[in-house]
Amino acid sequence: MAEVKVKVQPPDADPVEIENRIIELCHQFPHGITDQVIQNEMPHIEAQQRAVAINRLLSMGQLDLLRSNTGLLYRIKDSQNAGKMKGSDNQEKLVYQIIEDAGNKVGTEFHHVGQAGLKLLSSGDPPASASLSAGITGIWSRDIRYKSNLPLTEINKILKNLESKKLIKAVKSVAASKKKVYMLYNLQPDRSVTGGAWYSDQDFESEFVEVLNQQCFKFLQSKAETARESKQNPMIQRNSSFASSHEVWKYICELGISKVELSMEDIETILNTLIYDGKVEMTIIAAKEGTVGSVDGHMKLYRAVNPIIPPTGLVRAPCGLCPVFDDCHEGGEISPSNCIYMTEWLEF
Amino acid sequence: MTQAEIKLCSLLLQEHFGEIVEKIGVHLIRTGSQPLRVIAHDTGTSLDQVKKALCVLVQHNLVSYQVHKRGVVEYEAQCSRVLRMLRYPRYIYTTKTLYSDTGELIVEELLLNGKLTMSAVVKKVADRLTETMEDGKTMDYAEVSNTFVRLADTHFVQRCPSVPTTENSDPGPPPPAPTLVINEKDMYLVPKLSLIGKGKRRRSSDEDAAGEPKAKRPKYTTDNKEPIPDDGIYWQANLDRFHQHFRDQAIVSAVANRMDQTSSEIVRTMLRMSEITTSSSAPFTQPLSSNELEFVGKSGDSGGGMYVINLHKALASLATATLESVVQERFGSRCARIFRLVLQKKHIEQKQVEDFAMIPAKEAKDMLYKMLSENFMSLQEIPKTPDHAPSRTFYLYTVNILSAARMLLHRCYKSIANLIERRQFETKENKRLLEKSQRVEAIIASMQATGAEEAQLQEIEEMITAPERQQLETLKRNVNKLDASEIQVDETIFLLESYIECTMKRQ
Repeated sequence: MAEVKVKVQPPDADPVEIENRIIELCHQFPHGITDQVIQNEMPHIEAQQRAVAINRLLSMGQLDLLRSNTGLLYRIKDSQNAGKMKGSDNQEKLVYQIIEDAGNKVGTEFHHVGQAGLKLLSSGDPPASASLSAGITGIWSRDIRYKSNLPLTEINKILKNLESKKLIKAVKSVAASKKKVYMLYNLQPDRSVTGGAWYSDQDFESEFVEVLNQQCFKFLQSKAETARESKQNPMIQRNSSFASSHEVWKYICELGISKVELSMEDIETILNTLIYDGKVEMTIIAAKEGTVGSVDGHMKLYRAVNPIIPPTGLVRAPCGLCPVFDDCHEGGEISPSNCIYMTEWLEF
Repeated sequence: MTQAEIKLCSLLLQEHFGEIVEKIGVHLIRTGSQPLRVIAHDTGTSLDQVKKALCVLVQHNLVSYQVHKRGVVEYEAQCSRVLRMLRYPRYIYTTKTLYSDTGELIVEELLLNGKLTMSAVVKKVADRLTETMEDGKTMDYAEVSNTFVRLADTHFVQRCPSVPTTENSDPGPPPPAPTLVINEKDMYLVPKLSLIGKGKRRRSSDEDAAGEPKAKRPKYTTDNKEPIPDDGIYWQANLDRFHQHFRDQAIVSAVANRMDQTSSEIVRTMLRMSEITTSSSAPFTQPLSSNELEFVGKSGDSGGGMYVINLHKALASLATATLESVVQERFGSRCARIFRLVLQKKHIEQKQVEDFAMIPAKEAKDMLYKMLSENFMSLQEIPKTPDHAPSRTFYLYTVNILSAARMLLHRCYKSIANLIERRQFETKENKRLLEKSQRVEAIIASMQATGAEEAQLQEIEEMITAPERQQLETLKRNVNKLDASEIQVDETIFLLESYIECTMKRQ
């Protein structure tokens, strides 16, 4: 290194040399170097020469220009990545960078900045809150347009190109079925986009949910049956008919009916639907931290129950279920005397 | 009174009492309280008939009267009381289960006659029971009066308000209408009667010669010449007590379904102990299972723990369960899931409904709108901006149980009216056939009495052809089915009415 320094001592305006030096410096500090650092290392080189060198490196795709809180940073670009971008032009690189940015929101403090020559962009996304999303949501094509200020047709062309090169992928959002979000090819899309375990290819898996529903209910029902048959003290009977969410989860996992890995929360959402069906009731008891399946000192217990009244009287008469109830009156087209529903019901 | 209720009342009055009473009754229900002359004038019936009709209605506690200023007496009909007539079969059945046949007949007589003196009831019931018993046995009055006393003790029958005995001689003219008073304490006091006697078996008219009944009759009247000891003390069936009993039954069965047999027994004991008094005292075992029920709560620790049953909450959950079952039967189990979800969460957005209920978005939306259009649910708007722009407001779905219960109740009334009409229609259609079968039966009976031969009987029976017999069978079955269904719908009415009453009282 000292030799290099010595060599640079005389006014050496060799741009290649400068570039090499900068690259070496970047290697030294993989996190990125500020302008200040470069200046310190090569004090004799003018700002303009520096800028030219940096520009060249950037255009060659060997340096990344980032902006952090303290100023501009230069970072060596991953050679692998650099290889990928060969053959793409500036605009594509820009779009790719934007998409990568969206994917790298988690844990980065830096914003990608466009190349010199293109306007500086302010992405305006607070980095800290992005990391809370705990997942990668991808970026919408309209956002890409805003960020890069490129016209729509260009963007579409570029996106198609990138997709064909297998650098990015489009994921259909589950919330709005027409909307596509883009993200890097190898990243996992977030739950909010794909819908999590219950969706496959953005289609809600009703059958899957139904099957799980029935399985959980059968498990709880059989537990209640065995408890009832044991004919012990009612308190013990009641207690043994309870199952914790952890038990249900283990049972379902062992059944092996699901190809997707299900977490305990998933099972709890299924059990909640059973509660809304009126077939299951839930209690929360305080459990010691560390007992299996307890979350925050609580444990949820589930139990199969019967409905508290049998189907009510009104629905046993045809009038209770009649779709033309409001039109029915004596002497009209539809009246009790000629009601076909009643006739059918009476013949039953 | 809604149209549906008025229609139902008119059908009931017509069926039980006839056209004239129905006309007067419906007129009174529609127009509120009116004096005698106005009623006669408006309905166009003669004064005499109006008086008779009113007598019938008053006797059955369907119409009450009041003296207004200037000495005008006004009559007022109680629509709710008329609707209770639907429930008579249930009252009679309940008494049968509790007090067996004797009690059943007592209550039946009281309901059919409105008001009766105790001796009259006892005599009638004994006569009826004697008829159904084997030859030679007769029903003892004492047994009947025992049952009567027991009914009075458990408050199933109560005394009617009576004219107060004025000790000071009132020199003025007697008031146009007596004001009836009844002392709280006296309501269930049974007068000390010593009714000795046995039930008289009614002899069939064929055994007597034509002349004999006339001779017998003076004998009967001489028997009745003795003043009845309890003249003026009339008894009626205490409907509120029956309602209380039904309510307790509903709660106990709900507990049995939700928990197990033993906890339902505990709840039943608690309810029974509070039958006469309203508060409950400590049961002997600790009902630990009462944690999950909303009905039972702890209210103090004296005597090892005092427990109360929260009746309002019990009725609320029963009414909610009724609503849920109606939604389930009408719209499907997924709709029921959404309904329960909205009930539990009180206010919820459409997006959240999809997430919680695990139902695809499109179907969930469809179901929510359907329930909204049928008024089971309502929307609560929460605007984000001062101009209530639809794109910038939150729309939350919510269920208002009281209004849904009222809506369902109205539907029940209309359904029962429909069922009664259909029953009448069916009967009218086959009137010819019914009359024919009645004639044939009468002929057969008379021929049997005069000792006809088998062959002749056969011939006459064959007057009714096989398909006609079939038709009669179908008719009977249909009428029974419609009747049974009326009673079932009435059960729903009872639950909903009790809930609405309880909630209104609280407010």
